[in-house]
Amino acid sequence: MIPLQHALIFGALLFSLGLYGMLARRHAVMVLMAIELMLNAVNVNLVAFSAYVAPGAFVGQIFAIFVITIAAAEIGLALAIVLRVYRNKATANVDEIDLLKW
Amino acid sequence: MDIGTGHAWLIPALSVLSSLVISLALLLKSVHVLPKNGSYLSIAAIGSGFLLFFPILRDLLSNGPREYGLPWLLVGGTEIRWSMLLDPLSVTMLGLVTLVALCVQVYSLCYMHGHPRFGWYYAVQSLFAASMLGLVLADNLLLLYITWELVGACSYLLIGFYYEQRSAAEAAKKAFVTTRLGDVGLLIGILLLFKVTGTFQLSGIFDAVATGKLDSATVNWAALLIFLGAMGKSAQFPFHVWLPDAMEGPTPVSALIHAATMVTAGVYLVARTYPIFLAAETVLSFVTIIGLITTLMAALLALVATDIKRVLAYSTVSKLGFMMLALGSGSLAAGIFYLITHGFFKALLFLGSGNVIHATERQDMRELGGLRNSMPVTTATFVIGSLALAGIAPLSGFFSKDEVLIAVREHQSPFVLVLTLFSLFITGVFIARLVLRTFFGAQTHDSSHYHEAGWNMTGPMIVLAALSIVGGLVVFPFFGEMLGLGGGFMEFINPSSGAHGNAGATVHAAQFDTAMALLSTLVSGSGLLIGWIFYGARLWSPQAISKRMTPVVVLLENKYFLDSFYQAIINGVVLVAGLLVATFDRVVVNDVAVNGLGRIAVFAGDRLKYHVTGKLNNYGMGMVVGAVIIAAAAFTFLS
Repeated sequence: MIPLQHALIFGALLFSLGLYGMLARRHAVMVLMAIELMLNAVNVNLVAFSAYVAPGAFVGQIFAIFVITIAAAEIGLALAIVLRVYRNKATANVDEIDLLKW
Repeated sequence: MDIGTGHAWLIPALSVLSSLVISLALLLKSVHVLPKNGSYLSIAAIGSGFLLFFPILRDLLSNGPREYGLPWLLVGGTEIRWSMLLDPLSVTMLGLVTLVALCVQVYSLCYMHGHPRFGWYYAVQSLFAASMLGLVLADNLLLLYITWELVGACSYLLIGFYYEQRSAAEAAKKAFVTTRLGDVGLLIGILLLFKVTGTFQLSGIFDAVATGKLDSATVNWAALLIFLGAMGKSAQFPFHVWLPDAMEGPTPVSALIHAATMVTAGVYLVARTYPIFLAAETVLSFVTIIGLITTLMAALLALVATDIKRVLAYSTVSKLGFMMLALGSGSLAAGIFYLITHGFFKALLFLGSGNVIHATERQDMRELGGLRNSMPVTTATFVIGSLALAGIAPLSGFFSKDEVLIAVREHQSPFVLVLTLFSLFITGVFIARLVLRTFFGAQTHDSSHYHEAGWNMTGPMIVLAALSIVGGLVVFPFFGEMLGLGGGFMEFINPSSGAHGNAGATVHAAQFDTAMALLSTLVSGSGLLIGWIFYGARLWSPQAISKRMTPVVVLLENKYFLDSFYQAIINGVVLVAGLLVATFDRVVVNDVAVNGLGRIAVFAGDRLKYHVTGKLNNYGMGMVVGAVIIAAAAFTFLS
């Protein structure tokens, strides 16, 4: 069986990747995808801890399914917003969407 | 059903009603709908009040004093009652107030005719009379205080009736503020009595005083504070300054204020609460001293005043002091007797001066003279009023003044009596000066176009003149019994026969003292004679005398510099304190506290707004940094 550390390192890498993507990307869809990466990194951690700490209880797995459900709802809403913004401003660049700036 | 003391509440209620109806009509701009712009309504109200006085008096004489009322408020365990007291004192005042108010209102029909605020004048007149009647009837210090303040407010409105003139507006303000100084004292006195006795009812308070439940310090303080209110209203030294200025009001208003409604309220207040004063001997001496000072200094001021209304105003101040002197000498009956007779002849004198002003449009006696040919009725009635004021037998002023003098002689030192007689002497001089310079002597203006006033101006004057002549006779038991008073006026009014009898009251029975009568007549007569020598026969020149006494004349012409002194206090203390408070308000409260907080918010917002960049990356970075910091903190401090 793969040791726990491997799963955690993988989760951390995935999270950092998502974090970098969220901060560095300009396109709104890319930012959303980066957020998905971070959520999945969390899911990996939840499942890994569950399998190693309390095998057979499936607590982490069930929690991961909740996260996936929420993430689906969130991405659906976010993509709809991005679509409306694109229709109005002809861009999806987050740097140009600054209506609430001082 | 017989009309009796139980219907006394109708008298003020009718006047209040007429005042309300006229005010409502004024608000709806339809006062012309009312008969004679509402004036007939007001006269009808006060006239019915005067007619009600007779059955009430008859009922009082046959059934004795009565006290009744309605519950008004229940505060804690204390019931405050809306109650009235019908005893000889209040019923007597009821008659005086309704009669004088009726005369003045009839007189005003002609005097105020054609004034644009004619309706308003009558609305306030009605309310004024109603307030005074309520004050007279009140058996509850709280009710008394309310009506007391209403009297003050109405006098403010009427003194400032010609408010287009700055002087009238100033005079109204002065009257209101000066009397208010005393009113504060009265209010504190009432609350003090309530605190120690737990009631506002006069009977309860008198019982507490009579049974010695209150210590003497409390009684003295209460009496002093109540007297403070009376000093303000009754223009006693040093609060007298508002009264001469109140001459700015219409002349009938002056008559009303001086004879029946306003200034007599103070004397009446002392008389009403007399059992408290009798228990407070120190304060009673204070009343005497203030009365003596007032009567002397005002009489001297009347010597140099040239405005006929001001001479009369100072004579009123002087006579109010005289009444206080009587009260201070322990004779309630003499003080009230003088108040009543004074009400008759002073109203008469003011209405007479109103005739002069109405006909000539002048009120400086240096510009007047020889009016007796063109205005015979006015001259005759005015002379009657003047002789009554001077106290010449057998006019009413003679008897009432003698009663006061007897009381002073019996209870005060001879020195006080001499000073009182001196003030009577001065009264003779100044009233002779007033009459001779206005109605006699050479005509200073062409008087062919001056004419006697109409019947509704002379009518009330003739009524008042008749009363000024015979009014004093009620002091004699045989005359009083003819009217059914059961003795002379003094026995009728004595506090022992009132509802709140006080065993310790000094009962001062009527007495005709021949020596005192001769002495006072001699003094008054010599005063009149001196006046005649100066201003009638012109044997001596007043200018020559005043030149020799320049410092005194300067002192008198500047009214003892009291007005300037008060003005200096207002300028130096009140206005400076006001300026300090205003500066504190502007600088500390406004600029620092209120505006300062606002500026901090504006400044902070101006600087802090820049963190809202609108860049998603910045926000994300902020969240990350924040999360890292929280995580680091959790690791550091929790593990």
